[in-house]
Amino acid sequence: MKLNIDFSRFRKSEILATIMIGFVVIIVLNLFYIQIIRHEYYKKQAYEEQVAKFVLPAKRGQIYARDSGSIVPLVLNQPVYTAYADPQQVGDKTKLISTINRIAGGNVVEGFKDGLDNKQSRYVVLARQLSNAQAEMLKKEDVPGVGMTATDQRVYPEGNLASQLLGYVDNDGTGLYGVEGALNKRLKGVDGKLQAVTDVRRIPLTVSNDDVSIPARDGDNIVLTVDRNIQSYAESALKKGLDNVRASKGSVVVMNPNNGQILAMANYPTYDPSKYNKVTDYGVFQNDIVSAPYEVGSVMKTMTMGVGLDTGAVNTGTTFNNRGYVQVDDRKISNVEEDPVNANATMTDVLHYSLNTGVVFILQQMGGGKVNMAARTKLYDYYHNHFRFGEKTGVEQAGESAGTVIPPTDEQGNNVRYANMAFGQGMDLTMMQTAAAFSSAINGGTYYKPTVVAGTTSNGTNVKGSKVKVLKSGVLSQSTSASLRDLIVKGRQLGALGGKDRAGYVVGGKTGTSQVIDPKTGEYTNANSIGSYLGFGGNQTPQYVIMVQVKDSKAAGYAGTTAAGPIFGDVSNWLLDYMKIAPN
Amino acid sequence: MSDRHNNTFISRRENAWRRNQNTVAFEHSTRLGPVSHTVLVAMMVALLGLIYLTQVTKTSGYGYTIEQLNSQKTELVAKKSELQVESARLKSLQKIQSSEVAAKLTAPASTDYIH
Repeated sequence: MKLNIDFSRFRKSEILATIMIGFVVIIVLNLFYIQIIRHEYYKKQAYEEQVAKFVLPAKRGQIYARDSGSIVPLVLNQPVYTAYADPQQVGDKTKLISTINRIAGGNVVEGFKDGLDNKQSRYVVLARQLSNAQAEMLKKEDVPGVGMTATDQRVYPEGNLASQLLGYVDNDGTGLYGVEGALNKRLKGVDGKLQAVTDVRRIPLTVSNDDVSIPARDGDNIVLTVDRNIQSYAESALKKGLDNVRASKGSVVVMNPNNGQILAMANYPTYDPSKYNKVTDYGVFQNDIVSAPYEVGSVMKTMTMGVGLDTGAVNTGTTFNNRGYVQVDDRKISNVEEDPVNANATMTDVLHYSLNTGVVFILQQMGGGKVNMAARTKLYDYYHNHFRFGEKTGVEQAGESAGTVIPPTDEQGNNVRYANMAFGQGMDLTMMQTAAAFSSAINGGTYYKPTVVAGTTSNGTNVKGSKVKVLKSGVLSQSTSASLRDLIVKGRQLGALGGKDRAGYVVGGKTGTSQVIDPKTGEYTNANSIGSYLGFGGNQTPQYVIMVQVKDSKAAGYAGTTAAGPIFGDVSNWLLDYMKIAPN
Repeated sequence: MSDRHNNTFISRRENAWRRNQNTVAFEHSTRLGPVSHTVLVAMMVALLGLIYLTQVTKTSGYGYTIEQLNSQKTELVAKKSELQVESARLKSLQKIQSSEVAAKLTAPASTDYIH
């Protein structure tokens, strides 16, 4: 169909006006489509271009220790700055280099000058770890093309003190090992969020109803139960004790048996947590007190004695015929050569001379005269269900081990193993498990959850305390606990180690020298034995429990007596004064 | 009353009120035309637009103030942290043990407790 329009009928101006109106109509319609119909779509697109999302980083909680009545910081945060340059924006390169060298000094990144020549790059790091003062000086210089970013760095005012207990924070801000690892979530806090329309310099503007502002929730400032002075003394006593016997490794844990609070956890060798990245032996990061289970040896006799008394298998007046050895199935279990052989060995003798035959006798009595399933079941019940061996204590330390206790129903849980377990062999426990169980045995029978957290602080002065947690009541009866305390005290005081205790105080303890299985033969050997000492001190009431472990002692004699025992005595005598414990 | 047009409606209530009150109301004889109305409306719209823009700009300005205050706060917090660290270092056991005061301290010969 052909349109037959006679344009000569219209004036030129009318035609132009019609065309213009047509254009206007098209534009108006288009605008209507864009602004009204597609309104939400374009609004969203514009907002997405204008809006920026910022993370408001939460401040990591600081860690404090106790110092008598007050608290002192062990781990603090300090902002450090990284200076960078945008080579495309840098004007006077020579001036920039001289300014950076002058202000940053040793913090300058090697080879940054070459980076400045690369005009393709937009980011060249000039210096790291700048202090606030250095950052301010650099800011004042106002060098074009230079910027700074701030990050928080962990600072340790007490140096190496309690490093394994504390752990460290890696470059990604994740806590590893110790308290930093165990309480990472609490310490880390929760990052906040800011979503806002920004200007070209990315400065948030308060113009949109869609802005989101969620403030960061800083991490908790944790106050440890650890006392800085006890920790420091334990560390120096451990180091001195290890040097005396030329030992390479050792640990000390000090705890309050009446509430489960850890007063000190010392390990040697140690490391500087501020230079964790320089450590080559990663084993040094581990807190062996909670992470390295071992056969604790004869210190276990105290708890086996407690089981014997509590089950009524023996009492404090029981005697037995100590022939120096005892036959259990096909194995002959012997005492050490120096131990006496007597027909009327007492329960005190069992602890004083550390008689293996004595604790096997107790186990036999639990089975009606011989080691059997009934005896094994009773011992396991106490070890596992009362003393909680084989379960993690729950102390706030990363990498805690549960240890190994083989049940009597297991093929490996035979009579010979259980006879060995009675004196601390054939099962693996951590020092933490052992000290916590021992605390419950001598404190009247309450198993408190061991803890290193005393509470939190918001201002570095006042402490909001955490509650003491009881994991098991009636571990032993109160009277059994009291009898056991007496036996342990007598056991120590009859020996040479007891002679060095301060007069007027009640101090008891037990040595342990654990043979180590030779991987070549699969048999126990005296080479590289582990010396342990487990004891308590105080007045009418035990005020502290100390467990010491020394590895690889070169001193003559049993490592429990010659290496670990003296460290216990040193720390114990010092604690009596420091804790202002009045004598009986 | 003489200025009022004859066709002006006067309610009974107003009439009664006027009767009892010695009040006089005048009415302008000038009236606005459609163009004037349009101009006035346009001006009012422009004025409202200006007020809106002023408010929005003012609100945006707060963004800069907040940014400045935040930056100031960050600097102060950084300084506080540095001072806190310095204070902790000065009070550290290592520092105390190596101080002259500590060097002069001696252990007590004996300790007595009063029960």
